[in-house]
Amino acid sequence: MPTWMALGFQNAASPLMEQLIFFHNHALSILILVMTVVSFKLIKTITNSNINVQLLESQSLELFWTLAPALVLLFIGLPSIRILYLIDEVYNPDITLKTIGHQWYWSYEYSDFTQNIEFESFMVPSQELKSNQFRLLDTDNRVVIPFNTQVRNLISSADVIHSWAVPSLGVKADAIPGRLNQVSFLINYPGLFYGQCSEICGANHSFMPITVEATYTEFFKKWISSFKK
Amino acid sequence: MKPSQIPLIQQVAGVHGRSKIGSREVVGFGVNGEANYVDRIVSPFPAIRFKEDTPDIQALREKEKGDWKKLTIEDKKALYRASFCQTFSEMRAPTGRWKSTIGCAIGFMTLGWWMYVWAKVYVYPPVPQSFSEENRQAQLQRMIDLRIDQVDGLSSKWDYENNRWKK
Repeated sequence: MPTWMALGFQNAASPLMEQLIFFHNHALSILILVMTVVSFKLIKTITNSNINVQLLESQSLELFWTLAPALVLLFIGLPSIRILYLIDEVYNPDITLKTIGHQWYWSYEYSDFTQNIEFESFMVPSQELKSNQFRLLDTDNRVVIPFNTQVRNLISSADVIHSWAVPSLGVKADAIPGRLNQVSFLINYPGLFYGQCSEICGANHSFMPITVEATYTEFFKKWISSFKK
Repeated sequence: MKPSQIPLIQQVAGVHGRSKIGSREVVGFGVNGEANYVDRIVSPFPAIRFKEDTPDIQALREKEKGDWKKLTIEDKKALYRASFCQTFSEMRAPTGRWKSTIGCAIGFMTLGWWMYVWAKVYVYPPVPQSFSEENRQAQLQRMIDLRIDQVDGLSSKWDYENNRWKK
């Protein structure tokens, strides 16, 4: 979950998020390289009062400052495309979860099991928070998922556009009425993972969070069985 | 005329905008062929002389055609100031502009700060209960128990065996 004054990403809880963080670090280091070179050149140019500003032609300079950026772009683009395709990789998920966005809560359906499980997930209002609950993040019901399991999430909406996002899992997809968006993820370790609605959807857009509870398969089975017909 | 004189004549002939410069002499192409005067270190040869010619200056110009050792310091200065406005030292001299710039910037930042203080005192409601020290401690303990950010974040800094922060 987000921590106070954090500048970087939340720790990754899924392999895709790990890859995204690595790519971000890689792209940022290239950015720092470019910024250092450019600011160095800029400062040298400004503080030097004796240069020839009438320099109008230099083929070798133009060749360099065309090829170097092209090379930089290649170094950024290839890993980026790699991750793009990794995200769309086809798996055979063990569990399918359906998420519907409403104004202003999420509802979830698990239809893989003998009984159809459906429930709604509302934010815990600030006045009703226990002392150790997280304001604007904790919900009354959580999305329980077994960890180390490939999950398919089909996301849609019942009214306006919302967006289902859990940063530590590297997942975000719009919930659009009349459309099913599919995301696939796997959670590496048990725990609670928080997210918030990521598409403006009205007055309480900031107050419809998502809590994913990744747990052991045994506990997940017990939780499923607890939903009686 | 010598071949080396031809480019100079072509340059001077190409200068335009002469109607605006009074009787000041065109002496070169300048930066872009416009008849203007500007003191700039990177383009040290303006297209026109700075001052209009006077009989005194004409006399000095004639003297300049002879032996330069015969020119006094005052002559040289007068000739320079007729053709140019500032010397290179004057162009490079610090202006002290930075003091007023920094001063004004800090002044406006201060104004912004006071606006924030006013808003904090008169506008904002009190922060929610979850910000109280007791609640924050409880939330922190729950974050540690939940192993939030266990890879290299919060929980990775907690020593679970000894129940304290890692040293």
